Amino acid sequence: MKKGIWEDFDGYDGIKEKIKASRIAAGKHSFELEFADQYIKRLHPDRLTLKVADIIQETPTTKTFRLVSAANDLPPFQAGQYLSLFIEVEGIRTSRPYSISSQPNQIGYYDITVKQVANGLVSNFLLNHVSIGDSLTVSGPQGNFYFNPLVHDENMICIAGGSGITPFMSMIREIVDRGLSRTLTLFYGNRYANDIIFHEQLTHISDHFDRIHYIPVIEKASEDYQGQCGLITVDLIKKVAGASEKSATFFLCGPQGMYDFCLPQIEQLGVPPRKIRKELYGPPLDICKDPGWPKEIEQNRLFSVSVKDGQTISAPATTPLLVSLEKGGVVPPSICRSGECSMCRIKILSGKVFQPAGTPVRKSDHQYGYVHSCVSYPLEDLEILL
Amino acid sequence: MNKYDAIVIGAGNGGLTASTALAQKGLNVLLLERHNIPGGCATSFCRGRFEFEIALHQLSGLGTPEMPGPLRMDLDSLGVIQDLEFVEISDLYSVQNPDGFHIALKPDKEQILDELNNAFPHEKEAIDAFFDLVYKYANDMIGAFIFRDPEASREKYPNLYTYAFKPAQSVIDDFFTDPLLKAVLSVYWGYLGVSTDQMAFAYLAMILFQYIEFKPFHVKGGSQALSNTILNKFLSHGGTVRFNCGASRILTEGDTVQGVVTHQGDVVESDYIVSNVSPIVTYGQLIGEEQIPEKTITEVKSRQLSTSAFTMFVGFDCEPDDIGIHESTNFLMVNTDMTIRNHDRMRRLEIDDELMVLSCYDVSDPEFSPEGTCQANIVTLKYGEPWLRLPPQQYLDVKYRCAEKMLQRVQAIYPDIRTHIEEIEVGTPLTHMRYLGHPLGAIYGFEQQTKDSLFFQPGRYTPIKGLYFAGCWTGDGGFEPTLRSGMSAARSIAKQIENKSA
Repeated sequence: MKKGIWEDFDGYDGIKEKIKASRIAAGKHSFELEFADQYIKRLHPDRLTLKVADIIQETPTTKTFRLVSAANDLPPFQAGQYLSLFIEVEGIRTSRPYSISSQPNQIGYYDITVKQVANGLVSNFLLNHVSIGDSLTVSGPQGNFYFNPLVHDENMICIAGGSGITPFMSMIREIVDRGLSRTLTLFYGNRYANDIIFHEQLTHISDHFDRIHYIPVIEKASEDYQGQCGLITVDLIKKVAGASEKSATFFLCGPQGMYDFCLPQIEQLGVPPRKIRKELYGPPLDICKDPGWPKEIEQNRLFSVSVKDGQTISAPATTPLLVSLEKGGVVPPSICRSGECSMCRIKILSGKVFQPAGTPVRKSDHQYGYVHSCVSYPLEDLEILL
Repeated sequence: MNKYDAIVIGAGNGGLTASTALAQKGLNVLLLERHNIPGGCATSFCRGRFEFEIALHQLSGLGTPEMPGPLRMDLDSLGVIQDLEFVEISDLYSVQNPDGFHIALKPDKEQILDELNNAFPHEKEAIDAFFDLVYKYANDMIGAFIFRDPEASREKYPNLYTYAFKPAQSVIDDFFTDPLLKAVLSVYWGYLGVSTDQMAFAYLAMILFQYIEFKPFHVKGGSQALSNTILNKFLSHGGTVRFNCGASRILTEGDTVQGVVTHQGDVVESDYIVSNVSPIVTYGQLIGEEQIPEKTITEVKSRQLSTSAFTMFVGFDCEPDDIGIHESTNFLMVNTDMTIRNHDRMRRLEIDDELMVLSCYDVSDPEFSPEGTCQANIVTLKYGEPWLRLPPQQYLDVKYRCAEKMLQRVQAIYPDIRTHIEEIEVGTPLTHMRYLGHPLGAIYGFEQQTKDSLFFQPGRYTPIKGLYFAGCWTGDGGFEPTLRSGMSAARSIAKQIENKSA
């Protein structure tokens, strides 16, 4: 081989010696990959297969599923995070995110609390067909809805609606168990008094711990109901939380209707956006009510969606594309199913879809026609690239 | 179809340019990527109303259309330059310490000399002489290697022969006495990942020369725009990409590649494979160590793994000026020592007096973040290994403790930041291990100590016929080298095919 000119550079001989020495001393270190791979999987497994160890009937329409691992410890998580459940129901392979309702200071089990949803494919399956001893496949803990000690105020004002209570249950249990110095005021809205999940536990905790305040708010209360009635308004927050809302971080988890009502109320208090944390809650219940929805599209209109180098399926205009794909047997990966995590990102090669304004799609993804299929709705026949 | 002209494993910078260059030559190419998005490090993620840049700080080697740098020429030959919008970063960097020292350098030699001479008048002659050497060295380097002078000699290129392998620190020590000035001129060691006494002067000289002459750049839309644009070009040439699908095996027959088994279990045949995966994983897991000549394995094992990084992504609800950020690239320094003791700092879990860089893209590109906001990417280098010794249950506590310390360090320079943070996300060496798949989260591939850098790098060739490497593991880390490494791999394959058919 021709000699490189660098062999005449000052210092080359010393380098040559070092290279020679390093070849002799060559360690095994760089090939010890298995350990690191295993370690990462303990923190961030792609999939966990967990066993249902217990099922707790919380309300007539809500159950808590206690999930344990047969093998390792469960990965640590932050109170407020969720698991995505991967499941096949009626021949459809799909996923659903469920917040963990148990506290992160113990990881002997994860609790997920599931409320019945009208026509809910997965919730009805879980509530009616899953029993103790069954196995469920879930993702590792996910999501960005948690108390961040770097920036959030120790005074937390939390607003939950319906099954949106679950992340707060985890946060409250952690504060109590670990004796944390955070103060948490929970406004918990439900339509009827018997919809309230965890009512007795929350009442008990708030009676016994000064830092936890629990205010159930019932929208359609019977005449003899003693507690707060109506909606969670700015006046109610002011009355209960007093001056403390000035130095509080707000956490909201509930259906879109709750956000639509509560967020303007909180803004009236002069709370800056950085102090308002909002959990994802699935795609819009009725996309036709989105202000940007093109009214000319008939609700039941069907479009054909052909996957490049794959099959063609039919997709209703008002159903999220991801759901239609899953029904057709095409299963892109998905985690949050609320437009945020970008796992279900696909490229639209031809045709148009509707994505609600504010869907967090990367700028250049937007430029090149990538969409988050969990919150995309076909407006024309489509060709897509998975 | 289950046979392709070439298969590229991994859509990082090197994989993207390799696959696109091959597709552009008319080859039928399959690109496999285990994530759902191209880019590897060259990517972004959304939080709230922010899209955070992951890895690109200052794109080097681009130059202007009038005076193109090597990267611009490569991107131009790929046909993507007109689809990208580059933003020239208006400053080279600032260096600040909590005592109130603040120097801001522009990417212009005369301005740098003025600025340094003002701040360090007692070192004026040395400053002029040092930059004189940097430029002379760079010219020697260009003459001998870029123009491939067949008659290169010590007489013709004295600075190259004398200084290339000299430790950067010893050159700096020869020129200067003021420790603060020495530190100000050495902070770019962080972009290479080895301290100034471990790094050849060749690197310090070329990195300064390149950024001053070709200017530092950023891309509109961030590095994800770069990745998406190259992938788009690949698709337009008829390339096939499979996301959420990596390779689990590379199949060989004797010493020749045959194809790959994908994560989905199917076999795809090809005579040519570009691995944008580390040689450690490629040889150790995808092929099997026993298939590789011992000499190659020994060579791989004799190199150290580079450092990883601890990174904080912060979205502010105000403009950069409101919190006192006036330059795009800011080195935050407590300690003027830039030598090997930094590697001890990088090996501990705690954050204390580390050198950090805070990049705020909005200073040069006000459209980068939403109106009325800005973002900062704050990095300090940390080796991955200590993080693997943490009990998993302690991981979050340590992560927050380090992040809190990092915030305090930033606050010492920019006191008002804490009350403007709207979004914040933290990446540790474990995050890099998880997303990049680099052993120990080594962001720069192999560590660029002199014995493993420059002319002693592994390069793209392998003992397996048809298999080539692209990416930081072939040579230098960072955007320009990795993007260019894929071009080189594609050239080698094209040449090989040409030879075969001839």
